[in-house]
Amino acid sequence: MNRLKHLLRVYSPFATDDFSSTPATAAPQTPPPVSRLSRLSRALVAKSIVEALFVVALGVYFAYSNVNPFFRGSIDKADQRTIEGWVVNEAQPGERVEVHLYINGHFVSRRLADAPRADVLSAGRSFDAYHGFVFHTPSLPPGNAYEARVYATHVAASGARRVLQEFDGARQFGVTAEAKNAPVPDALRESEERR
Amino acid sequence: MTDARRDASDGTSQSASALESRALAAWEIVSVAVSTLVAEWAVLALGSDKTLLAVPVLCAFALMFYSHYLRGETLRELGWRTDNFWRAARLLIIPMLAGSFVLVAVGWLWFGGSFSFGARRAGWAIFGFPVWGFAWGLLQQYALQSFINRRAQLVFGGGGAASIVVVAALFALLHLPNPWLMCATFLGGLIWAFVYQRAPNLYALALSHAVLTWVLISTLPPDALRGLRVGYKYFG
Repeated sequence: MNRLKHLLRVYSPFATDDFSSTPATAAPQTPPPVSRLSRLSRALVAKSIVEALFVVALGVYFAYSNVNPFFRGSIDKADQRTIEGWVVNEAQPGERVEVHLYINGHFVSRRLADAPRADVLSAGRSFDAYHGFVFHTPSLPPGNAYEARVYATHVAASGARRVLQEFDGARQFGVTAEAKNAPVPDALRESEERR
Repeated sequence: MTDARRDASDGTSQSASALESRALAAWEIVSVAVSTLVAEWAVLALGSDKTLLAVPVLCAFALMFYSHYLRGETLRELGWRTDNFWRAARLLIIPMLAGSFVLVAVGWLWFGGSFSFGARRAGWAIFGFPVWGFAWGLLQQYALQSFINRRAQLVFGGGGAASIVVVAALFALLHLPNPWLMCATFLGGLIWAFVYQRAPNLYALALSHAVLTWVLISTLPPDALRGLRVGYKYFG
């Protein structure tokens, strides 16, 4: 009977005694000396500084690697027919920049900025003239509250990230009821032929 | 100095030391939690190289080891022992069965019972193999119990509900923003913190961690658990 009681006591999941030779001590019993606590507080301060510097360095590295500060460009025209402009990556003036068009915050289209822009070349912004872009303005209901934004694409983190960077501000434009069947401008046709 | 005055001075010094020890314990908990959050949210979001995770992880472990040394904690006290394994296991059995029942019930009632015990699914690569499940559980239980639980007991007092709830809540917080995983880790945190305060044995807790993780990924669908991802990775 005593044996059974002992087994019940030992194997009860709610037993609070420790049946090993040494009692279980989950919590520290006495505080360490003040000198040790001082060392601990210094270690905590040092760790906080190291981690703060690490996060700052990480943030700076992220900004540096994901934002290209060398995009220069402009949206020269935005209306119910086309949205035109130019963009150059001054760090690599020979490359064609991919641009994305958003109207009122919605993605519309993307293309390479490779339309001829002699004025960009003559201004000394690039090594060649092919840095313009011309987007067809999509069919939109008549109104005056349209906002076009064009973003240059920057490929970062070895291709893992594609960052859209705005190189010029928004352009407001309106659409009238007679916008259909508008003639295609020369610059757009030329750009389409190059593609 | 008279004996009475010396006693009073010693008493004041000891109470100041105890107060400082409690304040530092709270800071230690926050510091380790911050390291984990930095790893989960800053490194995975901003860093392009996962090896950078080593920085906050090493900082946290360096602090934990140094703190154990300064506070004079032995491996045995921390739970690296085998003599109380069965006692810890006994304490774990009923809460684990209850927790598993809750998970099965949630899987059945909320997700229509799409159980997959033994099948390859979310988290299998880490948790499916017993060795990895146990090792990963051991690492987490060491940080959670041997460090955070012990420091929480310093701050809130040992054996009370406050320290157990704080440990569980912190464990859930570190699994943000995965809602189902946060619920599961809060539940698991309550069980493991309760058991550790009565029978500090990391091996039993690690085994329980591995088993409950297996039950979790077998009862809830992968879409709900999002591959057990936490932090910024949850969105990726």
